[in-house]
Amino acid sequence: MDWRARLSPYLFDSNHIAPLTTFRVVFGALMLFSTLRFMLLGWIEDHYTNPVFHFSYYGFEWVKPFSVDAMYALHVLLCLAAIGVMLGAFYRISAVLVFVLFTYFELIDLTYYLNHYYFVSLVSLLLIFLPAHRYGSIDAWRNPSLRSDHMPAYAINILKFQLGLVYFYAGLAKINSTWLIDAMPLRIWLPAADQLPVLGPFFAWDYAPWVFSWAGMLYDVSIPFLLLWRKTRVMAYLAVVGFHAVTGWLFQIGVFPLVMIGATLIFFSEEWHLRLWKPLIHPSQTEKKETAIRWPSALATVIGVYCLFQLLFPWRFVLYPGNLFWTEEGYRFGWRVMLMEKAGTATFYVRDGMDGREGVVFNDDFLNPHQEKQMAMQPDMIVQFAHFLGEHFRQGGMSDPRVRAEVYVTLNGAPSKLLFSDTLNLLTVTDGWAPKTWLYAHE
Amino acid sequence: MRTPLLYISFGLIVLISAIAGCKKDDSEPTAPFDRRAMLVNYGQNIIIPAVGIADASTAQLNTAVTAFTASPNETTLAAAHSAWQQAYLDFMKVNSFNFGPGGEAGLSKSITEEVATWPANTALIETNIAAGNSALNDFNRDNRGFHALDYLLFAEDAAATLAAFADANRRAYLTAVSNRLANQMSAFNAAWNNGYLAEFIGNTGTDVGSSTSQLYNEFVKSFEALKNFKVALPLGLRAGQTQAEPQLVEARYSALSLACLRAHHEALVDLWYGRNFAGTDGIGWREYIASVDGGDALIASTEAQLAQIDAALNALPDSPSFEAQIDSNFDALNTLHTRLQQHTRFFKSDMSSLLGITITFSSGDGD
Repeated sequence: MDWRARLSPYLFDSNHIAPLTTFRVVFGALMLFSTLRFMLLGWIEDHYTNPVFHFSYYGFEWVKPFSVDAMYALHVLLCLAAIGVMLGAFYRISAVLVFVLFTYFELIDLTYYLNHYYFVSLVSLLLIFLPAHRYGSIDAWRNPSLRSDHMPAYAINILKFQLGLVYFYAGLAKINSTWLIDAMPLRIWLPAADQLPVLGPFFAWDYAPWVFSWAGMLYDVSIPFLLLWRKTRVMAYLAVVGFHAVTGWLFQIGVFPLVMIGATLIFFSEEWHLRLWKPLIHPSQTEKKETAIRWPSALATVIGVYCLFQLLFPWRFVLYPGNLFWTEEGYRFGWRVMLMEKAGTATFYVRDGMDGREGVVFNDDFLNPHQEKQMAMQPDMIVQFAHFLGEHFRQGGMSDPRVRAEVYVTLNGAPSKLLFSDTLNLLTVTDGWAPKTWLYAHE
Repeated sequence: MRTPLLYISFGLIVLISAIAGCKKDDSEPTAPFDRRAMLVNYGQNIIIPAVGIADASTAQLNTAVTAFTASPNETTLAAAHSAWQQAYLDFMKVNSFNFGPGGEAGLSKSITEEVATWPANTALIETNIAAGNSALNDFNRDNRGFHALDYLLFAEDAAATLAAFADANRRAYLTAVSNRLANQMSAFNAAWNNGYLAEFIGNTGTDVGSSTSQLYNEFVKSFEALKNFKVALPLGLRAGQTQAEPQLVEARYSALSLACLRAHHEALVDLWYGRNFAGTDGIGWREYIASVDGGDALIASTEAQLAQIDAALNALPDSPSFEAQIDSNFDALNTLHTRLQQHTRFFKSDMSSLLGITITFSSGDGD
């Protein structure tokens, strides 16, 4: 058999749709919950409308927040769209709205980048194209012609691929001497959590960081396979619940643990999911019917390109010289999660090119504490802020401003060091894909 | 199959722990740090006494102001002056505690912003006095507090001040500001003593909202406020300023600026060591940092830089005033600012990173 024939069953074999229905309901419910949480915490103001300046994603500088009222309206719309996805009502438009709105919110400010937000964007993009509304949905109830309880395997396997990749790559990223031999950063994080009930005393134990570092790595690289294999699946899922419960408890990571605990249900068999749905769904809606594929080879190509991109993009860091953790070139969009303890103090100086007078910037005039904290250790954000300052003071009447910065960064508890020369005029630096040769090397 | 996998994982963990164990044997065993003991020291031995003293001296200031308004003369004015100076210097020992009872709540800002916002809005104060309006029922903070008193009591010489206070409106305004200040400090003190201390000591985590995180965050903000608003701003060092602005010094009219600066800095250094008002050194940030790997290096760099700051502060003569020295002794003040700036990273990022303290509320990246 050639490779096409080998792959074909994973794309086109007929599968029951029930796992996808579960995924749709869980994902929609979590989107609703997290959007409501975001609004109730007052984060629309804190994240989007209060800051004077927003850090942009490369190529997305045109994405800007609207007014507070409009942002609230859009979040309410996202809630409605999430309900639409959850119930399978007006599914396509709901799925498009979830993807577009959520991704728009994330693109507003780079300092809020989280791997799990990227994951949610990817999944909501995939859901637009998956027939998740053909079974156990309002749409199927209203429109009998939509009903179908079988569909080609790709619709479920693409989600398993995406989830498995997140874990596996997160695990690969942990295979380095800092994580495994030095047990950093867990040697910093675990003792800080020693007051937690039950587990706390164990965190204070000298060897706990090593145990957790190795267990975390082994968990991440093996869990996709243990979930795929029927014999280990139940044990693996219990491990998923346990692992995310602990990390959710230990670290301030919001709804991410719930997302993973809910999403990994997709690995369970169709029989398992059917047991969930059968009692709820009227038999008339479960007529055996296949969702047809119109352009199988085109579909296979699109899926192939998507998967190839997901497989390769996280590796772009190997093209850059220097220490990945220090320069962060190719760090994002690579499932490198909770890998390092890094912080910086960035002091910016603006000099008037005409009279040579130099002043120090009070960062909190322009940035909220979260923005300042993220910016102070990430080179591309430092460049963006410097350019903003240059423009701000030029408009304020300064002629030919120069902006330099004294940025000290500490990585995994090591004494802080200068990230780059404190005499460099950052206005002469432009951010891009090219290596940032202006950064000092790490060690 | 699942059993061998478990054994392999467990075996690897044991193996690595053993390797790590061998590596660690040459260093002394680390006992887990007792954050509760640190919070007890900060709460019971440092904050409670400092807040109590600041409250008592503000109450004395209020008594002196009452005596002055009852009978404005050189003696009562001088008594009010020295009471104000004492109260404000004592306030320097509590102006890093802008959390819990000193934190923002509803419409009220932090205790420091509420009672010690400067520069005083002298135009607004004079307008209120002229209108006989001493209700203080607006949301301004620059027409009241310590710095309104600084202006009212110290702006003119004794003769001119006594003459101005012949005006009943002026006396009423002074009384209102002083009463309000005393009430705010008394409420601050009462809240710490009536329940908050136990809450503070009991919240032993390192997450956002924990006592360690709040105390640390306000400690760093207080340090930055000293550097930015007490030094950089009057010196004209803030980006966008085109010249020094000596009139922006703290406690301008009483010319207490330099003494305040020293007292504020000393309070921060005491917090670093965990030292109380009597000079007794207890468990503080220094001990916490010493308990973690790499802590000794950070302690050494921090204290070397603190010594540099001390030297720069001590190099400043007591007179003329800080305001005058901005003109006459600029380089020495600029050196002070540079050394404060160089120190920032030790307090602001190295310390929280090494201790794993969470400061901002947004969700972090999750695994």
